[in-house]
Amino acid sequence: MGNDITILIGGKAGQGIQTIGAILAGICHDAGLFVFSTDDFQSRIRGGHSFHLLRVGSRPLSAPSIRPDILVAIDENTYDIHREKLMSSGIAILNKNGGNDGDSKGNIYRVPLQDLAAEAGGKIASNTVAAGVVAAVMGAGLDRVRAVIESRFEAKGEKVQTLNLAAVEKGYGQGRDICFQSPFSFDGEKSPDHVVMAGAKAAALGALAADCRFFPFYPMSPGTGIVTEVAANLGKLPVVMEQAEDEIAAVNMAIGASYAGIRSLVATSGGGFSLMVEGLGLSGITETPMVIINAQRPGPATGLATRTAQADLLFSIHASQDEFPRFVFAPGSVLDTFKTVKRAVMLSEKYQVPAIVLMDQYLTDSARTETNDFVVGDEHHSYIQDTEMYQGETYHRYKITEDGVSPRCLPCTPHALVRVAGNEHTPDGLPSEEPLNRVAMVDKRFVKLPAMTRELRLPSVFCNNSSFFLTGWGSSKGCIMEACLHLREEGIDAGWIIFEDLWPLDAQGLKDMLTGKRLIMVEGNATSQLGTLIRTLTGIEYLAAILKYDGRPIYPEYIVERVKDIQAN
Amino acid sequence: MTTSIFDTDRENQWCPGCGNFAILAAMKQAFEDQNLKPRDILLVGGIGQAGKTPHYLACNMLHGLHGRALPMATGAKLANHHLNVVVSSGDGDCYGEGGNHFLAAIRRNLDITLLVHNNQVYGLTKGQSSPTTDLAMGTKLTPGGPTSTPLNPLALALTAGAGFVARGFSGAGEQLAGLIQEAMNFRGFAMIDIFQPCVSFNKINTHLWYKERVKDLGDTGHDPTDLPQALAVAMTEPGTQIPTGVLYRKPGVPFQDRFTVLKDKALTDYPFAGDQINDILSGI
Repeated sequence: MGNDITILIGGKAGQGIQTIGAILAGICHDAGLFVFSTDDFQSRIRGGHSFHLLRVGSRPLSAPSIRPDILVAIDENTYDIHREKLMSSGIAILNKNGGNDGDSKGNIYRVPLQDLAAEAGGKIASNTVAAGVVAAVMGAGLDRVRAVIESRFEAKGEKVQTLNLAAVEKGYGQGRDICFQSPFSFDGEKSPDHVVMAGAKAAALGALAADCRFFPFYPMSPGTGIVTEVAANLGKLPVVMEQAEDEIAAVNMAIGASYAGIRSLVATSGGGFSLMVEGLGLSGITETPMVIINAQRPGPATGLATRTAQADLLFSIHASQDEFPRFVFAPGSVLDTFKTVKRAVMLSEKYQVPAIVLMDQYLTDSARTETNDFVVGDEHHSYIQDTEMYQGETYHRYKITEDGVSPRCLPCTPHALVRVAGNEHTPDGLPSEEPLNRVAMVDKRFVKLPAMTRELRLPSVFCNNSSFFLTGWGSSKGCIMEACLHLREEGIDAGWIIFEDLWPLDAQGLKDMLTGKRLIMVEGNATSQLGTLIRTLTGIEYLAAILKYDGRPIYPEYIVERVKDIQAN
Repeated sequence: MTTSIFDTDRENQWCPGCGNFAILAAMKQAFEDQNLKPRDILLVGGIGQAGKTPHYLACNMLHGLHGRALPMATGAKLANHHLNVVVSSGDGDCYGEGGNHFLAAIRRNLDITLLVHNNQVYGLTKGQSSPTTDLAMGTKLTPGGPTSTPLNPLALALTAGAGFVARGFSGAGEQLAGLIQEAMNFRGFAMIDIFQPCVSFNKINTHLWYKERVKDLGDTGHDPTDLPQALAVAMTEPGTQIPTGVLYRKPGVPFQDRFTVLKDKALTDYPFAGDQINDILSGI
């Protein structure tokens, strides 16, 4: 076993706890260590209680941990809130200027962060002091720490950079005197094969790599982070973003742009997706490609704005009145997010159907070390058929074809008239209520389904002969994997089955795969939506379900405990 | 009836005597007068009797959801701002279901032509009150008249900052064709609210009722560059007189010009930026 520790940094919203985590993650990444961070925060800009979890390992990590080895309390509440979770071998670093009066004793160390920052030249750098303390505790060399500070504050000018260098050294000096049982070796070097990234950025880059150029949006947590990452590249790429008047406008803008030939993506959360549902149907009946990312949060309605959930699976598969083919995906990691968004854009174009990618607050906000396989692939390949564009009025947008996919032209380029309608329509795109045509058009859209199904992957299976399988989907992949490995180390014969491609699924293939397997569902909802879907498609009943709908991630520790509860009963 | 390259073979579904026929004819005339070909125009339709207009014109057509024609037009225009976009909407579609989008499109100065067929009633759903229905008009669902005061779309558009605001009348075809042509040549958001009778469901605002009240602004010395004057015209009590023509005309910065990336060419004209994206990916 390599070294593996978790740092919990807590404080009020606005106190910059994420900055401390980011500095530490940078120091660790530079030394070739692996990091995994998550943010837990309230729907407010100032006050309250937020915390940042940073897990650091000498081996790859696929999940966060909720049991800190180092607890950093920037304000007076943090220690009381989290002390129960602190490992017995762990230490607490309390901000003496943050209402944590008293002396250091036992495993509790009190450091006056603001006073030290003031000595360094400005109280504003107190977070940098905290980062210096923890970096020293973890065993990082001062040169590495200085290098990260230099590069992080380079763009802010020499004055700010100098202040933060002085501040980090103040903190570092304090941290060296703190006794910690599990320091790391920071002798390693940053690997060019690794990158630290959060899901939101991976989604944005995936869309760009698949040649998405139009991102209409209406702000909604936690979907906003994705378009924010797109915005970081404006000016470098032929990309247009537009803040719509509401999500209804955003989705209709996306359809309009896609009709005119530009790949479009909207990122939102459940409430915004609810408003987009009529547009989803319009994309379906007009066979206009479009990708919606739904970064899930607990609902319904406003629910928990800044929290996480996996409760929109069945909604996404069924959203909109009537029936039409669509893709639904739920990537399991940051790298999977990049690859899945690329695929979603490409498959939406190839089959002229809408695609939905389910993320959630946990996945969008958690940054982790990933293998650097973030590359442009073939997904940008165009499916628009130039040869058809010269056909004048004989061009039919909804020409009946064997595979259901009609040649796609763009309006006004140069001769073909491209007519599309949200009304049921004849092959030329004009509305028609004629019953035989209606049947032909529904059939035309659904004849795509077998090929669409073949594009999707059945779930991944680990330890195919296990006595039971932790079965889940999407963002909890890493937590399930880690819990499973932990159980196996304890001699419990667990496997996993993890879905990332969710719709349309090959029901027979799934039945063949799952028959005879004992499934323990692990999901971030209250009714086991994947379990319901599996039963609907295959008739197979799951054995038990570990369901977590408190708005927080499904930490591996929680899964392990619950599996033992199930076994005990 | 004269034939046009914009004719389609679709059976027209409007009621005989509907004001929409005259608007359709004026659109064809305006297109022909500009020597446009069917392939040159993108018609975007909302839902309602007015939203059906693109079905009867041989052009490119994007016919979407109730109230959402303007967002679709916005997306199409951002994708390819060279598209010549004309939106056909109605008083219910544009001012009711799509009211938020109407205001947003004006504020964007979306470079399109918006034709609002305003018959002051919901025609396709059989005579319910619309945002422009007179308070005195009882309907099946609001027998005592609508419970909301009618909207003044022209005043609303002017105060929201629309650059081209006009009023047309389906009974004045030549004038309307001219207005449509002028609106299409205006760089920026150009709207024409077009009064038209609904022969089936509006027994108050009939063809004759409008005809007795319309007055061409061109005969009054109205200055369409003067916003207060335009507002005064827009506020004219419709029961007394209906001024028609261009109320206001002042070009501003059209929507596409607000995007640096669209300065040189349309978004559709850029090749895939694979090299730049590779640079971004290698820098992460």
